[in-house]
Amino acid sequence: MKGKERLHGILNTLGVYVLVLALFAVGCLLSQEFFTEKNLLNTLGAVALLGIVAVGVAFVTYSQHYLDLSIPGIMALSGIIAVSALPYGFMASLTAGIAVGVTIGLVNGLVVGYLRLNPIIWTLAMMSVLSGVIRKVYAGRQVYPDEATAAGRAFLDLYHTEIFGWLPLPIALLAFIAAAGTVIMWKSGFGARLKLTGSSYEVARMTGVHVPRTVMTAFVICSVSSSIAGILLTSFNRVGAQYIGKGYDFDAITAVVIGGMTLTGGRGSVPGVVGGVIVIALLNNIMSLVKIGDFTIGSFEKTIIQGAIFILVVGINSYVQRTSGLDDA
Amino acid sequence: MNDIGIALELKGVSKSYPGTLAVDRVDLAVRTGEVHALIGENGAGKSTLMKIIAGSFDDYTGEVFVGSKNIQLHTPAAARAVGIAMIHQELSLAAPLNIAENILAGRLPARRGIVDRGLMLKDARRWMGLVGLANLDPLTAVETISPHEAQLVEIAKALANRPCILVMDEPTSALSREEVQHLFTVIRRLRRDGLAIIYISHHLPEILEIADRVTVMRDGRKVGTHSIPDVSELQLAEMMIGGAVSDLYAKRRMQPFEERFVVKGITRYGFFHDVSFSIRAGEILGLAGLSGSGRSELARSLCGIDPMDKGSIALSGKPLRFRNYGHAVSEGVVYVPEDRKAQGIALRLSVRENALSAIIPRHSLHGIYSAARGSNLLQGLLRQLEIVPPDPKRIAGTLSGGNQQKVLLAKWFATQPEVLVLDEPTRGVDVGAKVLIHKAIAEIADSGKCVLLISSDLPELVGLSDRIIVMCKGHVIGEMDKARATETSVLLAANGERGALSA
Repeated sequence: MKGKERLHGILNTLGVYVLVLALFAVGCLLSQEFFTEKNLLNTLGAVALLGIVAVGVAFVTYSQHYLDLSIPGIMALSGIIAVSALPYGFMASLTAGIAVGVTIGLVNGLVVGYLRLNPIIWTLAMMSVLSGVIRKVYAGRQVYPDEATAAGRAFLDLYHTEIFGWLPLPIALLAFIAAAGTVIMWKSGFGARLKLTGSSYEVARMTGVHVPRTVMTAFVICSVSSSIAGILLTSFNRVGAQYIGKGYDFDAITAVVIGGMTLTGGRGSVPGVVGGVIVIALLNNIMSLVKIGDFTIGSFEKTIIQGAIFILVVGINSYVQRTSGLDDA
Repeated sequence: MNDIGIALELKGVSKSYPGTLAVDRVDLAVRTGEVHALIGENGAGKSTLMKIIAGSFDDYTGEVFVGSKNIQLHTPAAARAVGIAMIHQELSLAAPLNIAENILAGRLPARRGIVDRGLMLKDARRWMGLVGLANLDPLTAVETISPHEAQLVEIAKALANRPCILVMDEPTSALSREEVQHLFTVIRRLRRDGLAIIYISHHLPEILEIADRVTVMRDGRKVGTHSIPDVSELQLAEMMIGGAVSDLYAKRRMQPFEERFVVKGITRYGFFHDVSFSIRAGEILGLAGLSGSGRSELARSLCGIDPMDKGSIALSGKPLRFRNYGHAVSEGVVYVPEDRKAQGIALRLSVRENALSAIIPRHSLHGIYSAARGSNLLQGLLRQLEIVPPDPKRIAGTLSGGNQQKVLLAKWFATQPEVLVLDEPTRGVDVGAKVLIHKAIAEIADSGKCVLLISSDLPELVGLSDRIIVMCKGHVIGEMDKARATETSVLLAANGERGALSA
């Protein structure tokens, strides 16, 4: 019992980085191209946006509300609105894009936090509404930033900005958001209240925590980080469209769960989630490096493998929790 | 007792967990047609012993005889097969299903795979009649019946297995006084029918009332088995804690100060009406009432957890109107809920996280929270309440019930409240923890705070309170001072007999 508890604690905080190291070793064995600055930066760059979303999702998961399924909609709409606002200037564009995240986050948070609708069902409905709105308003058209304007050029260059001349902006932003997320979750009063809420909703309520507001804040954090990722992804794709952000919801929750955050809430950490994102990055990279004769791992196979890993991790997690009695007695 | 057939006998039964001997060579003989009480503090080994009887372990040592046959109880199925049925503290009914389906769960009468409804209803009615639920429709969904009725359905479900030994674990913990009486009538009838009943409880007066014999356990060992008329409550308490109990109820230094917390005409329609009272500084005001009298609802509205429709509250002359519970806590009016596991403490968080959870804002600076700022306070509380083990990192859910309750109290003591509302502060805790909790409550009152004590435990209410107000059907029907309040008078008043108030 004691040993299992300790094992679980270690698995929660460090386990994911053990996995990162193991995958690193596998990558080095598989290919000489693996351990090069270019490959590693590319690998990390490919998941930086996912990382930004995952850190946001971590707050929702931590609050025991699983995840926000409207993330792809938030990402797409943020990108489209940002592009549409470009005629008013670059800063106006970014502000408008993030305002989309704040607004949808507030709506999700009000409905789930205050009215206590099931988060999965509500955000699924929100996703449906958002994609409908995008199709209706833009009548299936995609919106392109106008390269003739300075704001348009700035928007298109946004994703490719390099800080200090070498660090890609998405990676820098991920580092910043992850650091901020860590401080908020571990060191802030909000984080402590969120942990109590995630561990036991009723207890938090009977402790005088303003639970609806706490839950709403988690949803706002999640959708703001999604809209940041959505704007960057739109910049990368050079187009605002309804399909931008597709699949980010499931990828993000996979990273969160691999990173040791349990779906029952109140357990896990932002560094762990970042570890989960790195695991996904390395897996993707290694899978594309695999060549056995004619056999390569295509994107379909990757989806299957990722799904299998998700199920495996959730399964192991709930098994360990149940047998160690950490599941609420 | 004319029939001294032994239904169940344990000889030298032991069970060890890694590092501890939970049950140490226990002998126990339960006769047919007797109610055999099993008592002991939390951690005394009675739950483990019951689990052995229920077939939860395949690695106990010693011998078990059922009806003089040597039996191995290595699986729950083996226990069921020899006629042992358990009724757990937490009920095991499926809420959306109806009573009949619950009682006959797993063996619904069926013909070629189709449930025979008529037979099902007839069967269910028979078992319901046995436990005094004949007036209820077997098709009622379990989620709509009261906890008391659910408890009886649980018993009916156990009886449907036709057991010869029935184990009941704290069956009265969620019941009001008159519901307990009803349950006892049912138990007496089952005893008359020759059932051997093992009755586990913390509640000594109940045991004296219902049991024929009592076995006391302490530290995994059996202290002794006694016939009920031969022992007193005090003797049992001493056997349980292994020393003399000088005074079950802490002495109070009674000094009436000025009125501090004044409640005028508060009403929440449908729950309580026009309630007025005041608590003086340093006073423990008892609130008596049957369950359903509106006492918990009153307490929750007082603290801003539930709304109220009319009335006013003032603390030290300052009128208070709470926006939400967090506001009340910051003003020093706190509520310690009765349901420790669901509302009191987060079982999977540590002792420290729980104990400091109500004062997160106080340990935050510019939004940054540091639990380390509370460590002195925490150490003090661990010492004052003698929480065992005194380890702040320990997960609260791994503590014994009594210690969990102390953590709950520590959490609210940490807020340094002006008005402390306690709802059943010692429900389901052992005698040792109870004495300590009483002492701590008396201390906090003595430091000049106001305490409102809600309790169904009449000796506790009468022993601890300086004054008692009595609620009945949503109204305060009267008040008694310490000199006049006795268990009997409070009970009569709570049942609505105004005569008891003036006697």
